[in-house]
Amino acid sequence: MATAAKQMASASGFDGVRLALLSNRFEGICRKMANTLLRTARSGVINIAHDFSCSILTADCELLAVAESLPIHVLVGPDQMARTMKEFHPVLKRGDAFLHNSPYHGCSHPADHTILVPVIDDEGRHRFTVLAKAHQADCGNSIPTTYNGTARDVYEEGALIFPAVRVQRDYKMNDDIVRMCQMRIRVPEQWWGDFLAMIGSARIGEREILALANEIGWDTLSEFATQWFDYSEARMVEVIKALPKGRVTRTSTHDPIPGTPAGGIPVNATVEIKPEAGIIEVDLRDNIDSQPCGLNMSEACARSAAMIGVYNSIDHRVPKNAGSHRRLKVHLREGCVVGIPKHPTSCSVATTNVADRISNPVQAAMAELRDGIGLAECGATFPPSLGVISGVDRRYGRRYVNQLLLGTTGGAGAPACDAWMTICHVGNAGMIRMDSIEIDELRFPMVITARALQPDSEGAGTFRGALSAYVEYGPFGGTMEVAYVSDGCINAAQGTRGGLKGGASNQYKIDAEGRQHPLPATGVIPLGEGERIVAISTGGGGYGPPTLREPERVVADVRSGWVTPERARQVYGVALKPDGGVDSAATAALRRASMG
Amino acid sequence: MRFAVDTGGTFTDLIVEEDDGALRMYKAETTPDDPIRGVLDSVQIAADDRGIDRRALLAKGDLFIHGTTHAINAVVTGNTAKTAFLVTKGHGDMLVFREGGRIEPFNFTVPYPDPYVPRWLTYEIPERVLYDGRVMAELDERAVIEAIGKMKTEGVKAVAVCLLWSIVNPAHETRIGALLEQHMPGVPYTLSHVLNPTIREYRRASAATIDASLKPLMGVYMRTLASRLKDAGFAGRTLVVTSQAGVIDAEHGAEAPIHLLNSGPSMAPVAGRFFARADEAAETAIVADTGGTTYDVSLVRKGRIPWTRETWLGTPFRSPVTGFPSVDVKSIGAGGGSIASVDRGGMLHVGPKSAGAVPGPVAYGRGGTEPTVTDASLVLGHLDPDFFLGGAMKLDIEGARRAIRDKVATPLGLGVEQAADAILKVATENMVQAIMSITVNQGIDPAEAVLIGGGGAAGLNSVWIARRLGCKQLLVPEVGAALSAAGALMSDLTAHHTAHHFASSDKFDFDGVNRTLEALERRCRAFIDGPGKGAQQSRIEFSVEARYPNQVWEIEVPLRGLRLENAAALAALLADFHKAHEEIFAVSDPGSSIEAVSWGARVSCTLRASDDARLAPGAASGRTATRRRAFFAETGFVDAAVKRFETIKSSEVIAGPALVESAFTTVVLPPGSRAVRRASGSLSVEVGQPGG
Repeated sequence: MATAAKQMASASGFDGVRLALLSNRFEGICRKMANTLLRTARSGVINIAHDFSCSILTADCELLAVAESLPIHVLVGPDQMARTMKEFHPVLKRGDAFLHNSPYHGCSHPADHTILVPVIDDEGRHRFTVLAKAHQADCGNSIPTTYNGTARDVYEEGALIFPAVRVQRDYKMNDDIVRMCQMRIRVPEQWWGDFLAMIGSARIGEREILALANEIGWDTLSEFATQWFDYSEARMVEVIKALPKGRVTRTSTHDPIPGTPAGGIPVNATVEIKPEAGIIEVDLRDNIDSQPCGLNMSEACARSAAMIGVYNSIDHRVPKNAGSHRRLKVHLREGCVVGIPKHPTSCSVATTNVADRISNPVQAAMAELRDGIGLAECGATFPPSLGVISGVDRRYGRRYVNQLLLGTTGGAGAPACDAWMTICHVGNAGMIRMDSIEIDELRFPMVITARALQPDSEGAGTFRGALSAYVEYGPFGGTMEVAYVSDGCINAAQGTRGGLKGGASNQYKIDAEGRQHPLPATGVIPLGEGERIVAISTGGGGYGPPTLREPERVVADVRSGWVTPERARQVYGVALKPDGGVDSAATAALRRASMG
Repeated sequence: MRFAVDTGGTFTDLIVEEDDGALRMYKAETTPDDPIRGVLDSVQIAADDRGIDRRALLAKGDLFIHGTTHAINAVVTGNTAKTAFLVTKGHGDMLVFREGGRIEPFNFTVPYPDPYVPRWLTYEIPERVLYDGRVMAELDERAVIEAIGKMKTEGVKAVAVCLLWSIVNPAHETRIGALLEQHMPGVPYTLSHVLNPTIREYRRASAATIDASLKPLMGVYMRTLASRLKDAGFAGRTLVVTSQAGVIDAEHGAEAPIHLLNSGPSMAPVAGRFFARADEAAETAIVADTGGTTYDVSLVRKGRIPWTRETWLGTPFRSPVTGFPSVDVKSIGAGGGSIASVDRGGMLHVGPKSAGAVPGPVAYGRGGTEPTVTDASLVLGHLDPDFFLGGAMKLDIEGARRAIRDKVATPLGLGVEQAADAILKVATENMVQAIMSITVNQGIDPAEAVLIGGGGAAGLNSVWIARRLGCKQLLVPEVGAALSAAGALMSDLTAHHTAHHFASSDKFDFDGVNRTLEALERRCRAFIDGPGKGAQQSRIEFSVEARYPNQVWEIEVPLRGLRLENAAALAALLADFHKAHEEIFAVSDPGSSIEAVSWGARVSCTLRASDDARLAPGAASGRTATRRRAFFAETGFVDAAVKRFETIKSSEVIAGPALVESAFTTVVLPPGSRAVRRASGSLSVEVGQPGG
C-alpha cells in the first residue's frame, strides 16, 4: 500500500502534506460561510430545516470545496451558475455580487436564491468564486408556497427569475433590485434578512480566500486545486475499479398529480459500471418529455440526483468535487422531464419529488450489481406532517403561515446497517431538523396529539428501511388550513436485493366525532375546531432478503413494538418463544421452508 | 489546605494549595478499574514529596475538590442503570426521533442511534397538558400503576418522567413521582420539570433519562469517595466539579448526576480566565487543553465563559443531547497520541485515531507501531528522550524514527525530519480548525484573544497554532499541565435554576416575569444560606433566554438587576439583547420586539480567599541540559537553548529557537518567538512570525 501511494505520489508530483493542509483550509472557509448563514438567517427553512449550502469554485468554475449540506444542492449547479456569471459578465471586478436562481442557467429551482461573489486578486484577475445558496421562505410564486407543483409553466409558477444578476458593485447594493424583490416576495423583511445573511456569508468566504492567498500565494492555491482534483479523481478510479462490471435499469414512479400523466411520472434510470475504464454512467434519456406541471427537473438537479444515487452507493470517503465528478457521466436529453428543461418549463419542485425518483433507482440498481454496495430506495415527500399551515392566531390577533417539520423518516436499508431513520428524503440525506412539539404549540394555535412510528411499516430486509411516521394534529382555538403535496401514496419506496418495500404514505381527517375521512395526495385542507389531520409518511425500502436478518434484530424490533410477532413470523421467518426470545428451532424451520 | 484532583483518561492530576496560597502539582496514573485508588495515589505522591504520612497530609485539608470522568465513562461503556421512561401518550418515540439532523450525508455505514432508553422500557401515560397549563386530559393513575408493575417485572433500577408542558403545569409529573415513591420505594427517579425546566420536550426527556440512569452508580461513587477519604484521614468538605464550571457538595452531585458528565473539561476555562487576567490583563481567551487523545477547546469572552445548549453525549447527531446548558467545549480527536498515516492517494492524515495511553506512541516502547505526534516531536529534537515526565519514562527515539520513516516519510518521498515536521503541521491545522469552529459560533475573533496552552502536550505546537490563528500572545501557565485541577481550585460553589415563562416585549407581562424572578431568587437565597454558608462572598446573576420573533434559537442575555420593574428596565434589556445578538451573529434588528422564553438564575458562593496561583518554588530536580539539536522547518537543525521552566527569572527574555522544559511539559519556541515569565509563573510567549 505504501509503495502504491509512493508511486502515485511521485508519478503525479502530489504534495501529500499540502493536500492535507489546504483541503482542510478550504473546507474551513466553507464551514465559516455556512455558520454565518445559519446563524444570521431569519427564516425557519434556513435555520431549522438547514436548506442551504456554501461552496467554493475555481476560476474555471470547477467545484473545489463544499460545506456539509444537503446533497441535492451542490453536486452540480454551482459550476454552471459560475459559468453563467462569467458569460453574462465578462469583466468581473472585486466588490461584485450576483443573485442567481434561474433553473435554465444552472440553479436547482427558483426558490434557491444564490449569491455568487467572484474573488479577484490585486491585479484584477478572477481567481475563485464563492457561492451561498439558500431556499427562501417565499420567492414570489403565484401561490404562497415555494413548491408550486401544479404550475403549467414558469409564468403560472410566478417566481421572479434572476439569471446571474449583479446586485452589488464595489460592495454597494443595487437598491433597484432589492425594491423589486420587496414588491413581489411575501414577508419582505424576512426575505431581506435572509438576503443579507447570504451576502454576509459570501463576503466572509471572499475575505478568507483573500487572506489565504496573501499567506500562501495565488499560484500555490491554483496548483493545489489542480492536485486536489487529480487526487480526488484517483481515489474515485480506485473505488470504481473495485466495483463489479455491469448494467442495470430500474424504474421509480412519482404518483400522479394534476398536470402529470394518469400513471404519474415514471423515471427509468440505467446505471452502467465500467471498472476497467474507471467510469460510472447514468443514462436518463429514455424518459418522457417535460410535463405541464412544476415537477420537471432542472439540469442541475437531474445531474445532482443521479450523482447522489452513485455517491450513496460507494465508499463515502471519496472527496466530492470536480475531480471525482470526472468519473461520473450523466446522460440527459433536452426537453425531457428528467433532463435539460427548455424555458418556460416549470421546475418549481425540482429538488425533491421527481429528483428522488432519480436517486432512488440509481442506488437500488447499484445494489443489484453486488451485495455490499448501493442502497434501497428512500421514502418520498411531502406528507401533511411537512405541510404549510395557515390561519389566524386569536391569541395574538395575527395571521400565520408556516411550514411544519414534524415527522420525517424514510431512510433506506443499507448494505451493513439498518436505515438512518430520519432521512426525510434521499436528496436531503437527513440534514433537516425536526420541530419540537412544545415550540410549535407555543408559536401556533395548534395541538399535536401524536408523533410516533407506525408498526409494520418498515421496508423489511436483512437490513431494514425506516418505519413510517404517524403524526396527528389540528387547530386549537380556531380553524386552520393545511397545504401539502404528498408523493408515495401509490408508489412506496422499493427494497433492493430481495428487500421489501416500505409503508406507503397516507393522510386522512378525523372529525370532531372521531370519524375518519380520506384525503387526496395533494390539497389545501380546511380543519375546524376539534378536527385533526393525520399524516403518515413513507417508510424506506429494505436491503437484502428479510429471511437473512439476524433473528436478534427482529426480536428487538418486536420488543420495541415496531414489528408485530405475526409479521416477524410471516415476513422474517422468525418465531418467538412465549418469553419474547428467539425460538431457534422454529425459526430455522420457518426459514428453511421459505427457501424451499 | 485544599486539594483539587482531576481524574482524566490517562493521568490523575492533583494540585495542593497550602494555607499561604502556594500551589504544588502532582500526577498519578489513572486507575480505570477503581478511579478512587488513583485519587488516593496522587495524594500519596504529594505526601511522599513532603516526606510525611498520607494520613497526616489529608488531616490538614479542609476542602477536597474532585473532577471526574466516572459519569461519562459509565455512559460510554453502557454501565448505567436499567432505566425506564414515562412519557405522554402518543409520544413514546420521542427519544427515537430526537430533533433530527445528521452529519456526513453520504455515509450509510453508521447505524441510526438507539434511543437512550429502549422502546420496551418506555411507557406511554394517558394525560395531556396544554401550552398554557390547562389540562386537556387528566392523568390516568391506573395506567401509571400498571406501568410500575411492568417495571418491577423488568427489574428497572431507575425511572425518568417527561410529560408535555410539565414546565408550565407540573401536577401530573409530580403525582407520578408520588406514585413511584409509594409503589416502587427506593428506586431513584427524575422528573423532567424538576431537573431541567426548559422548553423543548426532547431535551427535557433526554436530560431526565440520562440523569436517572446515572443515579444509582454516582450515588455509590460519591458515597464511596467520601468514606474512603474519611478512612484515609480527611475530615473536611468534599466537593465535586459540575459541567457548568462550578462546584457542589458531593452528596448534591449524587442527587443530579447529569451535572457531572463534563466534570473535568469545564474547569479549564475557569483557570484560563484567571491566568488571562492575571498575566495579560486580557478578558478574551481561547483555552486549549491538549491531552494524549483529545484536544478540548473552550473560551472566555469578555470575562464570561460562554455556554452552549447543544451538548452531546458523543458525536453530534449520532448520540443523545444532554439537554442541559454546559460550558461550551469543543472536543476533537487530536493530541500527542494522534496517529499519522498516508492514504492510498498519497495524502497525509493525522488522527482522529489515537494510540491512546496503551500502547501509546512508538516512543513509549509499549508496543505501539504507528507513528504519532509525540514521536514526531521526539524525532525533531523538541522532546528530550531522557527527560520526558521529568525522566520518569525514557523515550525510544530510534523506534520513533523508524516508524516515521516507514509509515510517513517514505510514502511521501520526504526526509524523516521533513515528515515529522509535516505531521506537526497537519496536527496543528486540525486543532486550528477546531478552534475556528467554536470561535465562529461564539462570535470571537481569534486575533483579539490570548491563546492559553493547557495540558501536558500543549507546548509542542501551540506557538504554531497561535500564529495560524493570528493570536499575538500564547500563555502557558506553570500549572498548565493540570489546568482543570487548577480551575477546580478557583471555582465557586454554584447552583443554576431556570424557570419557563413566555413574555413578548411588545406586551410585556411585568407581573408574571417578576413573580418568576422572585421565585428564582428565593431558591438562590436558600442555597446561599445552606451549602453557601460561610462563603467569602456570594452573588446572584439573572439571565434571560430570548430571541427575535420567528427565530428558533434563543440567546442568553444577563439581566442588569434582580427585577424588571418598569419600561426603562425593559428598554435596557432590549438594548442588551440587540447588542448581544450583534456580538454573536454580527447582525441585529433594533426595531424588532423580542420574545423571552425562559429565565435563569445562577448563584455563586466564593470559597477561596486568595486570588493568586503560583507554584511553590521547588528545586529543579533531575538533569538539566542547556542546549539540544532541534529541527525547525525554517532553519533545519539548529542548536537550541534548553531552559528549565521553574528556573526562568522574570527579567529573562528567551528567544526562539529554544525549548522550555519542566517535569510536566515542554514548550517549543520556534525561531521568531520570544518568551518571558510572568509573576504568576506562567510563560508568556510573543509568537511572532517565522524568521521575524
